[in-house]
Amino acid sequence: MDYIFHIIILINIYIILTTSTNLLVGMTNLLSLGQAAFYGLGAYFSVLALMVLHLTIIPALLFSAICTSLMSLLIAYPSLRLKGDYFVLATLGFQLIIYTILYNWISVTKGPFGISGIPSPSLFGLLYISGIYSFLVLSSVLAAMVIYIFYKLIHSPFGRALKGVRDDELSLLSIGRNVTSLKIWAFTLSSGFIAIGGCLYASYVAYIDPTSFNLDEAIFILAAVLIGGTGNIKGPIIGAVFVVVLPELLRLVGLPDSIGANLRQIIYGLTIILLMRFRPQGIAGEYALK
Amino acid sequence: MSESILNIDSITKSFVKNIVNVHGNNEDERYFIIDDLDLLVPKGKITALIGGNGAGKTTLFNIISGFVESDSGTVLYNDKSNSINISKMKPEQIARIGIGRMFQDNHIFQNLSVLENMLIADSNTFGEIPINSFFRTKKNKEVEENKIEKAKEIFENIFGNNNSFWERKNDKAKNLSYGQKRLLGLTRLLMGNYQLLLLDEPSAGVNASIIPQIMEIIKSFVDDKDLTVFLIEHNMKVVLDIADFCCFMSHGKIAALGTPDDVISNDEVRKIYMGA
Ligand SMILES: Nc1ncnc2c1ncn2[C@@H]1O[C@H](COP(=O)(O)OP(=O)(O)OP(=O)(O)O)[C@@H](O)[C@H]1O
Ligand SMILES: [Mg+2]
Repeated sequence: MDYIFHIIILINIYIILTTSTNLLVGMTNLLSLGQAAFYGLGAYFSVLALMVLHLTIIPALLFSAICTSLMSLLIAYPSLRLKGDYFVLATLGFQLIIYTILYNWISVTKGPFGISGIPSPSLFGLLYISGIYSFLVLSSVLAAMVIYIFYKLIHSPFGRALKGVRDDELSLLSIGRNVTSLKIWAFTLSSGFIAIGGCLYASYVAYIDPTSFNLDEAIFILAAVLIGGTGNIKGPIIGAVFVVVLPELLRLVGLPDSIGANLRQIIYGLTIILLMRFRPQGIAGEYALK
Repeated sequence: MSESILNIDSITKSFVKNIVNVHGNNEDERYFIIDDLDLLVPKGKITALIGGNGAGKTTLFNIISGFVESDSGTVLYNDKSNSINISKMKPEQIARIGIGRMFQDNHIFQNLSVLENMLIADSNTFGEIPINSFFRTKKNKEVEENKIEKAKEIFENIFGNNNSFWERKNDKAKNLSYGQKRLLGLTRLLMGNYQLLLLDEPSAGVNASIIPQIMEIIKSFVDDKDLTVFLIEHNMKVVLDIADFCCFMSHGKIAALGTPDDVISNDEVRKIYMGA
C-alpha cells in the first residue's frame, strides 16, 4: 500500500510541475528548457526556509515560490525580448547556469554531496508532516490547489490574453496589449508554482542534490507536458501520470532497472514522435505547439 | 480641408537589401520606399490611399501604427484635445491612444472563438491582470458580462438580429471562411476605443457579394460612430463609392490628392496605375 501512496505522491509532484509548465508552454507558446532550474531553485529555497529560517510548511512554500519568481523575473525581461528559438536558447542557458551554480557553490549548496536530513516540516507548529500519509495528504492538497488555480487562470481574461500571445502577437499589439508584460506574468507565475513542486519534493525525500534538477529533468518535464497535451488542464495531468507510472509498470513486468531505464527513454521518445505525427496536441491537449 | 486627425510630416523610410553585384559579390543596397512624404488625414472622413503593388502603402500604415520606425519625419496624432507625436511610440501605446488597425492579411486569433475574438479586443483590460481575474471575481464577472453584451450588440447592429456571427460565437475563428474572418476583423475594431481606423485593403480577397456589406460597415464607422477612416484600397469602385478623399502614392510620395473622381481621372494616375 505504501508503494501505491509513494507513486501517488510522485504523481502529485509531477502534476504541479507539468501544470505550471503548461501555462508557459501550452498557453503562451513559450518553449522553456529551464523548468528544472526553477524546480531546483524552489527545492533549494525551501531548504533555506526549513533548515535555516526554521519556517513552518506554509510560509516555507510561500518563501520558495516568491524567491523563485523573483529569480525568474531577473531572466524574464531580457530573454522574453528574444524571439522564438532564441528564447528557447536563453532558457537552456539559464538551466545550465543554475545547475552549475548548484553543483559548484559547495559552501552553500554542498554541491554534488547534496543536502541531507531535511527536517519534516510542521504545520503551524502544531503537527509534523512526516511519514507517507501526511505527505499523501499534503501533496494531494497542493496538487489540487495548483490545478484549481491554473483552471481559474486559464479560464479568465488573463488566460484568454495568453492565448492571444500564443496565436498572434502582432494582432495583440494592434489592440493595445503589452505582450511583453503578459509573457513576464506567464513566466513568473509558472516559475513560482513550479517551486512549490520543488519544496514538496525536498521535504518529502528529505535529501536533494543538483542532479535532480539538471537538463535531463527539464527535458523530462517538457516531455511530460508534450505527451499529456498542452493548452488545457487535463493534458498536463495525464502527462504527469504517464511519466510517473510508466517506469513502475516496466518494473512490474519484471524488467531489471538497467534495461527498464533505457527502455523508458525509448518509450518516451517514441511516444513523442508518434504523437507529433498523429496527434500533435498530445494525448488530451487542446493545442498543437507551433 | 477640414481639421486633420493625422499630420504626416516628411516621413522617409528605406530598407537595406542584400544583392549580388555585377562582380558576383554580396553587397548591401539601400532603397527608399517612402521618400519625404507629407499628408494630412482629415478628421471624421474616409480617406483612401491608393497606389501600385509595392508602392509602400502598408509600410506607411506600419509607420503610423508603430510597427515600423521611420528613418526621419514625424507623425502627429490630433486627439480630441491635444496633439501627440506618435513617431517614437510603441504599437500597443498607439493603439491605446485611439488608433485601430486592420491588417492586410487576417490577423485575428485563429484558436480563439468568435466571441473571444471580440472580448479580447475590448479596450477594458481589467481581468487581464491575473490578480484581478483571480481575486476580484465579482467586478471581473461584471466586466465580462458587459463585454459580452457589447459584442452581442455590435453584431446585431451590423448584421441584424439572429446573425450568423452570434450563432457561431463559440466556433473557433479558424473555422470561419476568409470573408467572414475579414468581417470579424473589421467588426472587432468597434470593441476598442478608437478615433482613427487604419484599414489595409478591407475588401481584398473577399467574395464580391460581401463587398457592399463591407462598405456599409466602413460608412457606419464614420456616420454613426464619428470615427475617422484611413484605408488602403485597390478596388476603385469601393474608393469611388465611400471615400471622401483619395490620395495616390507613387515613388514614395503622395503624387495626387483630391476627391476620388479627381484623382482617378488624373492623367498621371491613370497612366501609372491603371495602364490607361
Ligand atoms: N521589412 C522590410 N524589409 C525590406 N523590405 C521591405 C520590408 N517591408 C516592406 N518592404 C518592401 O517595401 C516595399 C513596399 O511594401 P508595402 O507592403 O508597403 O507595399 P504596398 O504598397 O502595401 O503593396 P501591396 O499593394 O502589394 O500591399 C516592397 O517592395 C517590400 O518588399
Ligand atoms: Mg500592402
